[in-house]
Amino acid sequence: MIRRAGVALTLVALLAAAAAGLFRSAVPAGRADPVAAVAAGLRCPACQGESLVDSRSPIAVSMRQVIADQTAQGRSPDEIRRWFVARYGEEVLAQPPARGPGLLLWVVPALALLGAGAAAARTMRARRPARVSPADRPTRRRSRRPVWWLAAAGLVALVVAVAVAADRLAPPTVTPRTDPTAVALKLAYDLEGQQRYDAAAQMYREALRDRPDDGVRLRLAFALLRAADAAGAEQAAGQVLDHAPESPDGLLVLGLAQRITRPTVASATLRRFLAVAPAHPAAPEIRRLLGS
Amino acid sequence: MSCGARRPWWWRIRPVPAAVLLLAVALGVVLSTERLAGPTDAGQRPAWAAPALAGTTLDGAQFDLATLRGQVVLVNVFASWCGPCRDELPLLAETARQGSPQGLRVVGLNLRDGPDAVRDLLERTRADALTVLPDPDGSRAVDWGVRGVPETFLVDRDGQVVAHQPGVVTRQWLRDRLSPLLAAA
Repeated sequence: MIRRAGVALTLVALLAAAAAGLFRSAVPAGRADPVAAVAAGLRCPACQGESLVDSRSPIAVSMRQVIADQTAQGRSPDEIRRWFVARYGEEVLAQPPARGPGLLLWVVPALALLGAGAAAARTMRARRPARVSPADRPTRRRSRRPVWWLAAAGLVALVVAVAVAADRLAPPTVTPRTDPTAVALKLAYDLEGQQRYDAAAQMYREALRDRPDDGVRLRLAFALLRAADAAGAEQAAGQVLDHAPESPDGLLVLGLAQRITRPTVASATLRRFLAVAPAHPAAPEIRRLLGS
Repeated sequence: MSCGARRPWWWRIRPVPAAVLLLAVALGVVLSTERLAGPTDAGQRPAWAAPALAGTTLDGAQFDLATLRGQVVLVNVFASWCGPCRDELPLLAETARQGSPQGLRVVGLNLRDGPDAVRDLLERTRADALTVLPDPDGSRAVDWGVRGVPETFLVDRDGQVVAHQPGVVTRQWLRDRLSPLLAAA
């Protein structure tokens, strides 16, 4: 009787833990950002099995942008998902629909568990006095029992582990990468590395739309300067200096841009730069420029 | 009981596991044949209405795909940072030159790129006569269901996408699909 109650309790605990695990893995934790939540439910069509939220491919970045735009227009996550399905087919959904061949993903594990359960119950069932020879069957049954118990204990441990750690399975380092701004910035650095300053500036502008940060604005100003857009660089550096009038990098870009747009004031700006940051790595070059 | 020794080998096969195994194998075979027989080339998909495509071109002109009804339009999604795109641009430029008298228009949808980099690429590949529509944030490409670059869509005179090629287009692909459309002028 006690043993039966124990088995029943274990089963209840197992089911509860499985339900908790399923719930915790189905409801993404810590996704307050609606764009990230929708993106997590979609797959990157250019990558094998990668979620849209994790992918750094250009088309995935664009898809996240589209999600952000549509979210801003007030579309619901369901409407956005349908919009993507209309263009990319159902394979764009991270969770396959539970019909057609996709249904197998749900049915097969359930059937396998049921089958294993039935086999276990058959083995564990108390022996009925039957036609079997007393010397043979009982010992075989008894010798199998520890294996079933061990398997059951392993299964319980697995389910409990999944239930507890479901939302910790994804490494925490994913969070910064899921941020579209961080992706835009990474793309911009890469583009700068390839000396494609126009495209990099475009990416910095995109990042600035979501995160008005002076560090990014400075990178934009440098990229624009290198892309020969002195007026744009002057404007971006000017915005940085509005917030931080003594920013050495802001003064440096502004001065360099002014050498093209307004040569008469450029020297004064660059001298201010030297006064603020005499030990700046660019200082010797600026001194040389001013001296010549 | 010694009769067990005389039974054939298949007598010892347990029916339930054997049936499960057979069912699994049959299901696998059916699913994999379905997948193999399914359309591998998106070009075989039935025609669908071309999404909107309008905006200011790289040269500052206004472009709207809807105004090109009655013409055959080849929409090529490309970027200067994509090697295969660079390789196929000369072929597309040549196709545009040859097909223009029969009503062919080749439009480049420039994905997440900078104007200077594209101009430089078009000049180097002698494709500067192409109509290029910048798509700096990629939203137009996503509206077309683009998965990567290069990707090409063929829009017929009624505004239907009748062929779609993910990846590089070949001379043969263009000839096979363009000839009937251009001949029907």
